[in-house]
Amino acid sequence: MNIKFHNVSKKYKSKQALDNITISLNNGIYGLLGANGAGKTTLINIFVGILKSDQGDITVNGTNVKDMGLNFLTHIGYLPQYPRFYKDFKVYDFLLYISALKEIPKEDAVKRSKNLIDIVNLGDVAYQKIGALSGGMRQRVGIAQAMLNNPDILILDEPTAGLDPQERIRFRNLITKFSENRIVLLATHIVSDVEFIANQVILLKEGHLIKQDSPEALMNEIDGKVWLVSTTDKIIREDNTHMKISNMYRENGNVQMRVIDDHKPDSSAMRVSPNLEDVFLYYNAEE
Amino acid sequence: MIKLINYEMKKHFYKRSLIIALLIFSIINVMKISSIYQNNSLISNSDSSKWCDVYWQLYDEYKGQITHEKIQKLLSVYRPIEKQTADLTASRRMDNPDTYTGNVYSDYYLLTWYYIQPMEYAYMYQSTADDIVKRALENMIFFRDLGNKYKLNQNKIIAKLFSDRSITDFSYTEMYQNYLKYDFSSLLVLLICMYGLVSVFVVEKESDMDMLLLTTEAGGKKTIVAKLSASTLFISFICLWFWLLDFIAFGLVFHSFEAASSPIYALKSFENASVSLTLGQYSFLSALIKTAGTLVIGLTFLLISLKSKNALIPFIWNIILISILVILKETLSGSEHILLKVINPFILVENNELFSKVEFINFFGIPILSYLAASGFAALSGAILTLIIHKAAKKNVIAGRR
Repeated sequence: MNIKFHNVSKKYKSKQALDNITISLNNGIYGLLGANGAGKTTLINIFVGILKSDQGDITVNGTNVKDMGLNFLTHIGYLPQYPRFYKDFKVYDFLLYISALKEIPKEDAVKRSKNLIDIVNLGDVAYQKIGALSGGMRQRVGIAQAMLNNPDILILDEPTAGLDPQERIRFRNLITKFSENRIVLLATHIVSDVEFIANQVILLKEGHLIKQDSPEALMNEIDGKVWLVSTTDKIIREDNTHMKISNMYRENGNVQMRVIDDHKPDSSAMRVSPNLEDVFLYYNAEE
Repeated sequence: MIKLINYEMKKHFYKRSLIIALLIFSIINVMKISSIYQNNSLISNSDSSKWCDVYWQLYDEYKGQITHEKIQKLLSVYRPIEKQTADLTASRRMDNPDTYTGNVYSDYYLLTWYYIQPMEYAYMYQSTADDIVKRALENMIFFRDLGNKYKLNQNKIIAKLFSDRSITDFSYTEMYQNYLKYDFSSLLVLLICMYGLVSVFVVEKESDMDMLLLTTEAGGKKTIVAKLSASTLFISFICLWFWLLDFIAFGLVFHSFEAASSPIYALKSFENASVSLTLGQYSFLSALIKTAGTLVIGLTFLLISLKSKNALIPFIWNIILISILVILKETLSGSEHILLKVINPFILVENNELFSKVEFINFFGIPILSYLAASGFAALSGAILTLIIHKAAKKNVIAGRR
């Protein structure tokens, strides 16, 4: 499976939401990373057909999605941002309803729904109303419904927003479980969501594609640009306001800062290995 | 599609609050019908006078085909009472054993209002109808000479409509008189429909399902069709429920389902009825027309809520819409602005005026009876509203191309 975005652009009045995005995706997990308003949801909405792009084409295995029509939808599973679903529907009934929407024959729908309920560990609440579920459980219902048609392409828009750490880890593991032999496009602004599971990271900023590469390659690119600086409160206030600081903590009366800079910020600064959060900050910090 | 319609019903209409509202409104409706009987009927069994017993006792003697013998028999009872009460000098005692009700004046009014006048009306109706036909035929000659084709055709319709009209049977029509002008349930139906329909599109936005629906094969056009079908079924069910409840409640409260086979013009208020049907047939037709009107208004509710993000705003707009339709209908009632009257779908919901008199719409030189024009306009409005909803609802950009 291969997806290609060719020069996809979208403008909302005067705001350029996406500007000539050209990317290529093969099987694997893709972390679509960017700050709020970077264009992640716009890109996803254009891909799934909710929004119309102003220009550009999207192809799946070389075929323009516009020529695929309704058939295109059989290839995708989609979990939108912050879904609440129908609060009066029971989990199992909801999955059957989505199966009906995906035109899955009843027998398969029943089998697949039960199987997915087990996989996402919702067996205990299968006959409870969605309105009574926690946020994490609801997101698991969300990924289960996205998987009902066994899609080639799984699109998850901010799936871990608002989840507690335990649920976030559980959800990440589910994504990994579902990623076999398919493309998973995971849009998020939470770096840790993609750091451990993404094969590739697509970095967006203000509608522009900044980078597309593996997390390791991205981290290697800024190797030598991440520093640990030990300083005092006074110096931070006076001199260091211009720095890109990815982390700060107190130790032995001093402040330890993780600074991202092309040059050594201080004679006492120590070079440290970059992580994906540093990469995100390196490319996304205010100019 | 049936599966999708079923899910739409489940999403929007199988709600506890809706069922509770339906039950409460049904109880209110029956109470209202009961109060009509108590307040309007002079022969209600709660009345302390003996009218109820006396009426039904006499009814067995006079019901059915109106014959010369029956008229003579009735007059032989009525004339002496009429004579006694003419100069208002008769005894006013309330326990007079020589009377039906205990009082001679009471007898006089009971017989006058419940037997003499209805029977006289029934007996004379044929000649009234014949007069109308005669005048219509004269008018036809007049307008033919004048070359006025529209008026000629209008009179042709009138002549055809009133020819062969007669009331051959005497029956108890009080139930139908009240039932056919009863409109309170229509308002209850509209309120329940509004409550149910306002969420049909809004709920998708409130639950963030609107985006997800668009990414499924049947979540676009098919779901819109399913929503429209489920809404139609819901409106039809609510209408059917209330129209049946009205009919049964009126029949039970008035202790009679009689007169179903009498012609509609057996009711004085339908003397110039624009249809020649029996009361039973007309009740069915009226219910159908009411349902059609409710469907058109229901589709308007759906259209109003289509682009709304929450239920409150369309709810307010819907209330305003109902108010405007009711005010327009009441303002134009009895007026000569027939076109303005018939384009209001509320006239189908409260349709007495459409059927109780003969009115025409000039449709490019062809006279169309107002109830036909109103029905046609409602069908057109319904089709246009359905089309707009179908077109205006959001669709998948990619899948929608095919």
